[in-house]
Amino acid sequence: MKTSARFTVVLTRPCLVGALGVIALVVGPASANKDPVTPQQLKAYEDAFMEQVRIGDLLFHGDAALAKKMNVVLTTTGMACAMCHPFASDTHPQAFPKYQVSMNKFATLRDMINWCIEKPNQGEKIDSDSDAMKALEAYIYWSNTGSVLVPGKY
Amino acid sequence: MSELDRERRELATVLQRPGVRPDPLLRITRRTFVHRSCLTGAATVAQTFAWWPLLNTIDVAYAAEEPFKFAWVSDTHLYPKSVNTRFVEKVQRAAREVQAMNPPADFMIFGGDLAQLGRANELELGVELLNEVKIRKVFIPGEHDWYYDMGAKWKQLFDKPNWTFDHKGVRFIGLDTVTRGPDYWTVRKMSPEERMDHMATLDGSVAGPWAGVGRDQLDWVQKTLADWDKARPVVIFSHNPLYEYYPPWNFWVRDWREVNEVLKPYTNVTNIHGHVHQVLYNEIGTMRSIGMLATSWPWPYAPEGVPKLTKPMIRADPGDFYDGVGWETLSMNKDRIETQYVMWGRKEVFVQSPPDSSLSQPEILRPRIADQIWPY
Ligand code: HEC
Ligand SMILES: [Fe+2]
Ligand SMILES: [Fe+2]
Repeated sequence: MKTSARFTVVLTRPCLVGALGVIALVVGPASANKDPVTPQQLKAYEDAFMEQVRIGDLLFHGDAALAKKMNVVLTTTGMACAMCHPFASDTHPQAFPKYQVSMNKFATLRDMINWCIEKPNQGEKIDSDSDAMKALEAYIYWSNTGSVLVPGKY
Repeated sequence: MSELDRERRELATVLQRPGVRPDPLLRITRRTFVHRSCLTGAATVAQTFAWWPLLNTIDVAYAAEEPFKFAWVSDTHLYPKSVNTRFVEKVQRAAREVQAMNPPADFMIFGGDLAQLGRANELELGVELLNEVKIRKVFIPGEHDWYYDMGAKWKQLFDKPNWTFDHKGVRFIGLDTVTRGPDYWTVRKMSPEERMDHMATLDGSVAGPWAGVGRDQLDWVQKTLADWDKARPVVIFSHNPLYEYYPPWNFWVRDWREVNEVLKPYTNVTNIHGHVHQVLYNEIGTMRSIGMLATSWPWPYAPEGVPKLTKPMIRADPGDFYDGVGWETLSMNKDRIETQYVMWGRKEVFVQSPPDSSLSQPEILRPRIADQIWPY
């Protein structure tokens, strides 16, 4: 199928300061069914993300009821992630993947989340694609919004 | 400029005025002792501090009448034994080591956060474990000790949360920086458990700026120091640091301006504080401030605000429960106070190069949200 687009370029008269205004209209074929994103959709996408951040935040801060509901044992020592990582500090998602000395292997953020579940928390490793893992990851990344990517940094 | 930036600038201008430093006769050096026993491998318990592989000290000149030592232990965060024996073992170890000090310490100060969730059985467990320490013990509260029953059990066990005594020419003051938190529980109809849980979350946003000294207590400090020569040594113990380091985690007291006003005339003040679970050093006007380790777990440095004068401690290995934690001895001699961090399982307490430090990976962090939108 051939996709075609019609361009309409409207040139306005040069204004007083001499700038040239250009309006480009890009129109899809009559059969196209993809609409531009609406503010409502954007909000829904963001809400879907923030809901995971919220769940991750609660798990990270040791919400036992939620962990139970999600069928994960993140700790058996009374330790929660946030007790050592307030504001998700020192989790350094921006540095992954990297060679992780403590594990002696090339590791991802999820590997390290599991490592901290097993070691300081003495909990049970979670499936690396599980809902709990994705939520923890969402919270850790969101908390570090603004941190600069430095993959591989020790 | 953010509120935080504004406060920082103010702190710099109000507290760190040009040319104002702790007593100019006093010189501050940092040293690392390699203990002989380490080199020869012939440690005996009789040898002073034989159990330390290395002693890292911050030396501050001082003017006590005769040399003496005291020990600091804090932030044990005890859960009942059924939940967690790891913290219990570390308190036992600290207690054993303090008791074995030779020559013995004149007293031990416990700097707060004995319990994790403020329960009576946690506080009682702490008392039981610290019974191993036979020398004189003094206590100040941490926020974790207080907000389950608003200090009822703590006061029953340890009496007043603030006090003063003189010892060998030094005036010691125990300050209470935790009990004057703003009431966040009544309107939200929180149970004591919920109130405590919020207080126990360092990076929570519900308990707010709870750390403070309070006008009433500052008046008491002023009265306590009124008859004290301005140049004679004063040591103030507090749970929180008495300056502004990182308010979102209550690494401060909210009334640091007033504290500074009251202490300004005294030129020989040292503040020793817990709560931060990390090595910290700062000078605020003529006051020195030294942060102590926890026995329970280390906290990372805050993403901003770490005092420039702090030589940071190493980043800890989360797989080793004895890493990044420990206790301290402070010795006062004619001309100095030495702080010795006893960090278990570490050859070097301080970072030797940037990669040793968690600060070598700059982070930009944002506060949590779930405790704002969750129906609490
Ligand atoms: C007892 C304290 C403690 C607890 C509890 C803890 N961690 Fe950690 N964690 C650490 C320390 C210390 C490091 C090492 C930080 C460094 O190397 O700078 C670390 C490292 C990490 C890292 C990798 C950071 C890096 O730069 O390598 C991640 C990710 C992490 N933790 C996530 C978690 C999660 C998720 C939890 C809860 C399941 C958790 N941690 C619980 C202490 C803890
Ligand atoms: Fe603490
Ligand atoms: Fe504390």
